[in-house]
Amino acid sequence: MTVMSRADQRLTPDVVQSVTFPTTRLGRRGLDEDHVRVFCKQVELELIRLLNERTSLQEEVRRLRARVLGREVDGPGYRREDAHIQAVGILSKAQVTADQYVADAQAYSRALAEDARRRRDEILGEARAHAAMVLQEAHERGQQAAQAALAAAPVAGAPGADARRGNLEAELAYLRTFSDVYRTHLRAYLDALLRNVDEWERSERSAVADVQAQLAPALSRAVPGPRLDL
Amino acid sequence: MHGDAVALFFYSDLFLRHPDTRELFPVSMSAQRDRLLQALGRIVAEADRLAELGPFLQDLGRDHRRFGAIADHYGPVGESLLATLAHFSGEDWTPDLAAEWTSAYQLVAQVMTDAAAIDARRNPASWDATVLSHELRTFDIAVIRVATVQPVKYLPGQSVAVESPVRPRLWRYYSMANAPREDSTLEFHVRMIDGGPVSMALTRSTPVGSWLRLGAPVGTLTLDTSSRRDVLLVGGSTGLAPVKAILEQLSDLPSPPRTHLFAGARNAEGLYDMPDLEKLAASAPWLQVTGCVFDDPDYRGERGHLPDVVARHGPWTGCDAYLAGSTAMTTAVASRLTELGVPAYQIHVEDFGWSES
Repeated sequence: MTVMSRADQRLTPDVVQSVTFPTTRLGRRGLDEDHVRVFCKQVELELIRLLNERTSLQEEVRRLRARVLGREVDGPGYRREDAHIQAVGILSKAQVTADQYVADAQAYSRALAEDARRRRDEILGEARAHAAMVLQEAHERGQQAAQAALAAAPVAGAPGADARRGNLEAELAYLRTFSDVYRTHLRAYLDALLRNVDEWERSERSAVADVQAQLAPALSRAVPGPRLDL
Repeated sequence: MHGDAVALFFYSDLFLRHPDTRELFPVSMSAQRDRLLQALGRIVAEADRLAELGPFLQDLGRDHRRFGAIADHYGPVGESLLATLAHFSGEDWTPDLAAEWTSAYQLVAQVMTDAAAIDARRNPASWDATVLSHELRTFDIAVIRVATVQPVKYLPGQSVAVESPVRPRLWRYYSMANAPREDSTLEFHVRMIDGGPVSMALTRSTPVGSWLRLGAPVGTLTLDTSSRRDVLLVGGSTGLAPVKAILEQLSDLPSPPRTHLFAGARNAEGLYDMPDLEKLAASAPWLQVTGCVFDDPDYRGERGHLPDVVARHGPWTGCDAYLAGSTAMTTAVASRLTELGVPAYQIHVEDFGWSES
């Protein structure tokens, strides 16, 4: 399409975009085609911007006019509807906040529970390994004691009653050492448990004292004067 | 237009117009909004096939009884639904469109309330149950025995939605671990899910004498009583509950079929019901019970995952199989049985998954 300016035809971005200019005849001075194209692009964009602005202004005018007219005809009604939408917005925000808190609390509780479960497994695993170790140690030292008892017997390896006696002594030495080692470990374990209980008691006592110390002034502040006499 | 924003607007609108309806919902509404959008999506997608939609809407209507929904609530819900659609449609909302939506909603509400009304003639909206005993079998599995005021009519293998007063308006499905009894007592096996609000409340904060609320029984993992085949029962963790109920039903038959029950767990501690199962097996020559664990080197019994252990004890081609547990476990066992030549119609699986919180 070429430029044909007519009074009844509005200039639109489309027109600017598709405009062509006839080329100049040879030998005569003409315009740089690229310059013209760039300028046309600018005009087109400006037109689009202006048209968009006009649309939103028209919308604004329509809204304001409706509000003015609405106030004149049925003012409170319009505003009530407006207020309801606002209330819905506020309630929705509050709900989303509550949802988030619940989700956070749930995630926190999940993390705590997973952690507790993992630590429980670790503690149980360690305890099992420790128990196996204690048994193994008791067994080994018992065996050593049994061998020592056998070696010490004057008729080691002799047939008959003496041999039986030697074996029994070895077995006795084994069992005595085994139970000694086991008892030692058990005592150490119980001592550790008792220390834990003491520690627990101490920390609980001091925690309660701390809380009471913190609460005392707060309580006297919170309760107004006359009530203190009751 | 974002789906969640629409659901959010809808509920806020409803609660503002009818504040009393807020009581029917839990504190957190995010799961609720998803559910609403799913149901609405299905209704809109199948709106022109009412025959298919009918049963879904009837179930929905019956199911809403336990939430305390009554016919009077359907009007306000429709009102807010229309207001929401109008708000989000803006200029596109026309009286014609409004009329169409109104009549569509009225139809949906009618089907739901009709189904609810018919159900109300036979069943209460929900069943109140008192906790008779609460046994913590492991640190995270509880066996809870309750008595209902009105008997719950169910088939062994079915489940009910359970609500605890500690977590109001949150419902989770649990299977009854026993066949219906004269004294209306029910047993539930509850495993604590980390961070799961309901399972934690049930395992930790449900003392004897407290009450629970139960919904109507659902589920299709039920005994094929017309079959004369042997029976294979497989329960992973607390998936044991429904298969144990079926086992009870079998033991009441005049001549029970040959039955093999497999209970699976991570470690020996997780086989929380073995003493009882072994006692049953000792007095029933038709019953064999196998416990197996997959992560416990010290365990003296069967070790391995359920699909492998079950496969080792085959053949199962002549058996009806009933499987319950996590979706992963039931899927694995079912596909192993299929590989071993068990026809699909002989394999019954707990098919709503199970409550993961």
